[in-house]
Amino acid sequence: MKTLLIGEYREGKLLESTYELLSFAAQLNADTAMLLVGSESQLPAYAGTLYLADIATCGEYNPDLHKKLILDAVQKENPDCIVFLHSSYGWDLAPRVAAALKAAQISEVIANLDGGFEVGCCNAKMRRTVKSTTARTVITIQAGAFPVLQPGGSPAVQKLTADSSGNLEFIGYEPAEKKDVDLAKAEVIVTAGRGIGKKDNVPVIQALARALGGELGASRPVVDAGWVEHSHQVGTTGQTVSPKLYIACGVSGAIQHLAGMKKSDFIIAINKDKDAPIGEVADVLVVADVMQFVPALTAKVAK
Amino acid sequence: MEATRQIYWNMGHGVVIPMYILAFAAFGVLAWGFWQRLPIWRQGKALDRFDHYDERVKRMISEVFGQAKVFRVTEGGVFHSIFFWSFLILFAGTMLVMFQADFFTPVLKVNLLSGEFYKAFSLVLDIAGILAIVMLAGLFIRRFVTRPDGLEIVRDDYIVLQLLFAILITGFLIEGARMAATELQQNPALARFSPGGLLAGQLFTTLTPGTLLVTHKILWWLHFVLVLGFFCAVPYTKLRHILTTSANAFLAPFEAKGSIATINMEDDTVEQFGTATISDLSWKDIFDADACTSCKRCQERCPAYTTDKPLSPMKLIKQIGELAEGNPTGSLSETISQDAIWACTTCRACQDICPANIEHVNKILEMRRNLTLMEGAFPGDEVKTAVNNIEVNGNPFGLAFAARGDWAEGLQISVMEQDSDVDILYFVGCYASFDKRNQAIARNFITICNAAGVKVGILGKEEKCCGEPVRKLGNEYLYQMTAAENIELIKTYNVRKIVTTCPHCFNTLARDYKDLGLDIPVEHYTTYINTLLENNKLNLTPETFRYTYHDSCYLGRYMDIIEQPRSILTRAGGSITEMDKSGYDSFCCSAGGGRIIAEEKLGSKISEARIKMATDTGAPLLVSNCPFCMTMFEDGIKTGGAEDVLRVRDLAEIVAERIVA
Amino acid sequence: MKLLVCIKQVPDLESRFKPDATGTWFSETDLAFRMNEYDEYAVEQAVRLREQLGDSCELTVLSIGPDRVVEAIKKALAMGCDNAAHIQDNAASSKDPWQIAATIAAYAKDKGFDIIFTGMQSQDRGSAQVGVTVAELLGIACTTTIVGFACDSGTITAKRELEGGIKGVVKLKTPALVTCQLGLNVPRYPTLPNIMKAKKKEIIAIPVGDLLKEEALAITASFHPPAKKGGGIVLEGDVADLVEKVIAILKDKTAVLR
Repeated sequence: MKTLLIGEYREGKLLESTYELLSFAAQLNADTAMLLVGSESQLPAYAGTLYLADIATCGEYNPDLHKKLILDAVQKENPDCIVFLHSSYGWDLAPRVAAALKAAQISEVIANLDGGFEVGCCNAKMRRTVKSTTARTVITIQAGAFPVLQPGGSPAVQKLTADSSGNLEFIGYEPAEKKDVDLAKAEVIVTAGRGIGKKDNVPVIQALARALGGELGASRPVVDAGWVEHSHQVGTTGQTVSPKLYIACGVSGAIQHLAGMKKSDFIIAINKDKDAPIGEVADVLVVADVMQFVPALTAKVAK
Repeated sequence: MEATRQIYWNMGHGVVIPMYILAFAAFGVLAWGFWQRLPIWRQGKALDRFDHYDERVKRMISEVFGQAKVFRVTEGGVFHSIFFWSFLILFAGTMLVMFQADFFTPVLKVNLLSGEFYKAFSLVLDIAGILAIVMLAGLFIRRFVTRPDGLEIVRDDYIVLQLLFAILITGFLIEGARMAATELQQNPALARFSPGGLLAGQLFTTLTPGTLLVTHKILWWLHFVLVLGFFCAVPYTKLRHILTTSANAFLAPFEAKGSIATINMEDDTVEQFGTATISDLSWKDIFDADACTSCKRCQERCPAYTTDKPLSPMKLIKQIGELAEGNPTGSLSETISQDAIWACTTCRACQDICPANIEHVNKILEMRRNLTLMEGAFPGDEVKTAVNNIEVNGNPFGLAFAARGDWAEGLQISVMEQDSDVDILYFVGCYASFDKRNQAIARNFITICNAAGVKVGILGKEEKCCGEPVRKLGNEYLYQMTAAENIELIKTYNVRKIVTTCPHCFNTLARDYKDLGLDIPVEHYTTYINTLLENNKLNLTPETFRYTYHDSCYLGRYMDIIEQPRSILTRAGGSITEMDKSGYDSFCCSAGGGRIIAEEKLGSKISEARIKMATDTGAPLLVSNCPFCMTMFEDGIKTGGAEDVLRVRDLAEIVAERIVA
Repeated sequence: MKLLVCIKQVPDLESRFKPDATGTWFSETDLAFRMNEYDEYAVEQAVRLREQLGDSCELTVLSIGPDRVVEAIKKALAMGCDNAAHIQDNAASSKDPWQIAATIAAYAKDKGFDIIFTGMQSQDRGSAQVGVTVAELLGIACTTTIVGFACDSGTITAKRELEGGIKGVVKLKTPALVTCQLGLNVPRYPTLPNIMKAKKKEIIAIPVGDLLKEEALAITASFHPPAKKGGGIVLEGDVADLVEKVIAILKDKTAVLR
């Protein structure tokens, strides 16, 4: 088995997620080659073949040109699998390569199984095992599904170039809008409910959110009481959210709240009341006093 | 000496001709004034309000002369009603004098106004005049001195109050002048039957007879001109309400309370749905603006207005009037503001209290129909999501429709799909189906039915939202779609009776679904349980408790179910402390009119205001009969910080606990 | 200008999914269907452009699937599409993205569409391939996951959403295809007069066999629920122990802690 891994640069920097490709290939026990549109000043720490195209001439987003580079490398390497990250770069480029090769594409793989590749579907509620029927297979892997693997070493660089047909022109980047909070896109949300007791305790919940790299959410009563601003409200009368991790602190789970957060991938609820309705949707219900448990958890997470 | 008086004393019968000419001229001005209003009213669409003619006439007579609606609010109402009756007596008395002078005396040759009758007549009229002055003084002080919140002072108030005062005072002055020259000297015993005149007469005793006669003449004409002025002023000032408000007692709708016009969705010639401009209103809606007396009773009862939201039912009616007169093509939603239109909870407190029979709620609903059906507008994104959810899953939460019947698992209950031979079909509704707090209430209701030996069926996953919230938000299309599915489904089963635990479902199924072809008796569980208790199908072991009771709008004001729930709670051992606002005067929980799926972004929380009223009673328990109210109160207790002093429970929970096994 | 918007009807994601008899896709029993969310953004953007360009522009909506997809087509028509193509395929769910893209490309090939709008992915299958593959098959410019769109005399300026909220600005010459992402616009709620008008608009039905000549490249071997992630466990006891347990769960079950 041979894989061609497609690494990623963004805003002049090698993305660390490139190393997730390596652990995916390692799980397949595959020989690897890598292709990167990047620069020699910042190469991945990996001892293998690296097809390198100069980012200064090829651009960070030029799918037609990047496709040609990959097809060139495919010809040279003759890989079984061409592997991308399922990212704004990968999901844009992979189908172009797959179409050009008339190869099966399997998107957002989360695991390798004997019978094929495991992918999520129906908003991660279900799984599919997908098999390729073509000689080559294009794969995109889910961000975070495979651990970062930094084998070390220096790559053997082979340079590639190609011309663009130029029906698309990349103008540049626009920085992210500075918003107070955008819960809809947050990956982690830690929500304060009435169970936190008083306004003064909001920073305790905020601290856990920060430690997990997430955002502070709030239930309606907490917002109504003026403890937290409305932009943080989760629920049908606030924002409907679906983060990877949702931690509900002292939220009893009124229907409006549940309907707004139950699509979250993983839900942890901390509540004194074992029978609180939030328990129905939670993957884990921690029966504890919020103000004792949360600071202890934050301290541990921060380590 | 005979007890009577000479009509046209000092004036001579010669005044009759100019008097009648001028009077007819004044009536002409009055008629002309209203005639000019006709085209304004006629901008509205046709609407038949002349059916049930006899009942309408009866209603008008009883409302106008009985003044019951005015009297319902003591503040202001007492002054107005007593003034009205007094003025009416004065008017009738004057008419009698006119008939005597120009009909009885010349044609029939009889004098009614003599003897004992004259004494009584004289006394009654004088007392009426004095009362009228006192009441007018009361109204004057209320308007200009004590001035309750929300009471405005406009140009008309100066004109009307001064004019009425002047008429009453000059009336007594003429009488006084006449009596100073006649009765006071010739028949002092008779003068005692005219206490007002007797008093006024003292002013003139020092005048020489010649001056007195001239003064009397001047006063007579002055009084007469003022009265003519009164008639002329009617169409141009607030006085128009004498006719318009009275007419509204005739024109008020005859349909069941809460009836909304069901739009014909098959008619593809219709291009405008709902009310965008004046011409989309009915003529009655425009007429309502002329019937409004700005008494502000609606405004001070409006849950939106009293919690600082931009809606005043009174202002809204006035704005319609202003547009109809000044800018008939102007946009109603821009003039009134969308925020105001969305703020209404359709609690009906305004319409219920309005002494002028103005129909506020349906005007707002028609404006919402325009916003929703013509512009695709929503009061907020959360509402759009909920509406989409109802469209897809038949519930506002967006939960899987197939899970709707899950709450009933393990209970003694039939799902109609499997067994439709049941005593009652329980239409569960979205909240009791999906919300944990309200599921408990549904289960308690089943416990009660089981104990009474009633076999209950539910539609389970086949049931959909009744459509009430979206209908009240103006989305008639989605309402009719979901309603049609429910109706079609219910009709496939041989249903004898439907019972709901939700007053919103109850109103919709019992009244609104009739227009769409469902004709099966529908009851709310409170009256159903009450009947079970009265027929001894169900027996309770009373257990004492103190409580206060919240009349949900859609049970109390809309369906007149006020006594039955209290009677059940009394049987259960409860002793009630009523809130200040209860029964027909109950205060909304904030969730009506589709607001249950909308966030309350403006002003303060209505639910907290209501919770405050409940805690003020000192009772530790608030009993509710509606899942929407329950949801709002559970929230309001938390956000209002009343967790330690008040609990909210549903009537079914209290009954279920006390069932005799 | 000719515009095409491709939509898919998907089950509401609140539904409970169970494998069907073949074990390779979900059973449709007890599912509620709606228009794929991302496709709603595509329809909205297409309708806005249609309104901007006026009557010189024609907007077609296309959907592949069994008869139930007509509901989604009707919604797109009510939102403002001019006409519709329903590619009838009772077995659409067994087709792989390549076949779906090939079908659309076969339909669009000779029609001269200037701009094609699709969602960035479907909510149920989530392969995020069809749009790009259609563009490749038609040989037209394409960009994905757009959250900003403007079109001026044959040039599209699109903003792509990248990770962390950064946006990449791209210019494309028509003909082109764009795939639409959450945040591009707020889809309108159809007005009643437009719903009524939509009922009279033409929906052309085309049997899938007339268009699709390709075999599947990828096949689904199984459709199943995820392995239990320890769902619904209740932890009680000493706070320190609880913290340890939760940390272990976070490491094990989520990508948040490593």
